Amino acid sequence: MTTLTGIAASPGIGIGPVHVVDAQEVAVHDGQIAPEAVPGEQARFRDAIAACREDVRELREKIALETGEEHARILDTQIAILEDPDAMDQTQASIAREGRGAAFCYRRILSDVAARLEESDDEYYRVRALDIRDVKRRVLHRLGGTESRSLRDLKMPSLIVASDLPPSEMATAPREKILGFLTDLGGRTSHTAIMARARGIPAVVGLKSAMSAAREGAIALVDGTRGIAIFDPDPDTLEEHRRKQRRYEEISAQRGALRGQRCVTKDGLAIHLAANLEVPEELPGIQEHGADGIGLYRTEFFYLSRHTLPTEEAQFHAYRSVVEAMSPQPVVIRTLDVGGDKFASYLGTPVERNPFLGVRGIRFSLKREDIFRTQLRAILRAAAFGNVRVMFPMVIGLEDFRRARDIVEEVHGDLRMEGVPTPEHVPLGVMIETPASVFAIDLLAREADFVSIGTNDLIQYTLAVDRGNEAIAEMYEPLHPAVLRAIRAVVEAGQRHGIRVGICGEMAGEPLYVVLLVGLGLVDFSVSPYLVPEIKTILHSCDSNEAAVLVKECLALGTPSEVRAVVTEFMHRRFPEHFLA
Amino acid sequence: MVEQQVVIQNRLGLHARACSVFVKEAAKYASHITLAREELEVNGKSILGVMMLAAERGAELIVRAEGADETQALAALVQVVNNKFGEE
Repeated sequence: MTTLTGIAASPGIGIGPVHVVDAQEVAVHDGQIAPEAVPGEQARFRDAIAACREDVRELREKIALETGEEHARILDTQIAILEDPDAMDQTQASIAREGRGAAFCYRRILSDVAARLEESDDEYYRVRALDIRDVKRRVLHRLGGTESRSLRDLKMPSLIVASDLPPSEMATAPREKILGFLTDLGGRTSHTAIMARARGIPAVVGLKSAMSAAREGAIALVDGTRGIAIFDPDPDTLEEHRRKQRRYEEISAQRGALRGQRCVTKDGLAIHLAANLEVPEELPGIQEHGADGIGLYRTEFFYLSRHTLPTEEAQFHAYRSVVEAMSPQPVVIRTLDVGGDKFASYLGTPVERNPFLGVRGIRFSLKREDIFRTQLRAILRAAAFGNVRVMFPMVIGLEDFRRARDIVEEVHGDLRMEGVPTPEHVPLGVMIETPASVFAIDLLAREADFVSIGTNDLIQYTLAVDRGNEAIAEMYEPLHPAVLRAIRAVVEAGQRHGIRVGICGEMAGEPLYVVLLVGLGLVDFSVSPYLVPEIKTILHSCDSNEAAVLVKECLALGTPSEVRAVVTEFMHRRFPEHFLA
Repeated sequence: MVEQQVVIQNRLGLHARACSVFVKEAAKYASHITLAREELEVNGKSILGVMMLAAERGAELIVRAEGADETQALAALVQVVNNKFGEE
């Protein structure tokens, strides 16, 4: 059994045999052609381009009918590439000048452009390189007289594994034969992700080593909600995911009805169930799944998907569109959190011996005040269009918080002087993700307007376990007594000082833990948008008193495995339809 | 020859769809059309060329047109950019 983690690109669970799509380069004859053959070769090239254009147009019509005009437009790029006058002229000129075949000349021109786009730091441009390669493959197949192997010819329903999938393949794949997509490359905004979401097919992208883990015909599973792929799963894992699959389908069927319902426990405790936002493209999913605002708007995307600093204007428009769309619900914008495992060379993040204990989060922003001030200006301007809160990452105590707050106040003052509209007060909060911020929570809670527990880092720093390290990955245990005590301490300090305590990170969105977290006193969650309906259904039938009893029992236990056993038994007994059915 | 500076205003910059809208409009005119960003100047009717500019939101570009219908071409293309390629 091999488990890989990637980017959750399209929700749902798919289980079945693997089909590996190997997008091999088409073999091209690179020999010379006779001078008298040049006009014929040029004509053959023009015919091939015309035929391909016809094919893509037909495909575009098909997609427009099946998934809508909006997705069909993805292929407009390919049509435009096929109509590109420079590529036409240069190919025909090369055939004449060099006496080489059309396939050779066309391939070289398109490969050059694709290679240059692939160098880009911007995901949008890297994705475009895939369009170019897709067109190239199509034209070369046409010129070579071979028909490309395609997902249309799939014999049985399969999980498709590829390094990346061109949009034409994504579109022609018959829905009933595709159980899911697993790709090594790609991000949330890649074609694979967008098309999979549009067609309701589970997908995980950015898996890095799926191609080497996959064996043709062997059983695998994809959990597109959590971003996990498992190859050759053992029987228990398989059974667990079959159950999750049934549950996911049931909840999807009720999603429309759930969207309008408030998130309240059986005994009337109101829970604020917000969603995390990583890239702007996720906004429709957040609205569709009925989240109460955005509890964690990660802003790294603007910085890491490009090669120059994003301007104030660009950030302002991006924040504003999200803030406006969610208004009057709150949007918690976390300031830039680079460092650790997130770098961009142009930001000048230093090479560090221990980056997770280095210039991360607010530490970077306080060293690069120019970047920080630009971001704050954009956020404060966007705040005029809705309900914005600002949160600082990696704070270890009052000193960082006060310095960050002072800069916010200065920037706010500048904007007022300039006559730029901003709200009177923008709440400032701290992400609780270091043990220091837990121990100093009484100090932080006195001055911060709110805090939010970032579980991924809090668990890693509290337990001193790098979960990327396979040798100790099983020690990364959200139910460790130390983690539960840390959460309890933060919640209690929040209650004493009358500030909101939120929780985000994967632990917050794991259905198995939700009752325990409510019992610990949390009423403010931020989870992956796709998990909102499931968490909501559990909370609807949970009672805050039973949650308190569960917590009392768990806090008396000595080891993570004892806690896990009790929580698992409780959740199975209370919510068999979620965990056992 | 006529030219005008434009600023890319749509959220995603001059991404693929915006590029195809631009070249489609450019193709309607007989004039030779180019798009320049700093030293890089490309054929405004070639999507591969326009994509190479990798122009993000806020990027400043110069549209140039030369030919019988250059004035109309320039006006139409500047409008395409200022209308955010008809997408927002």
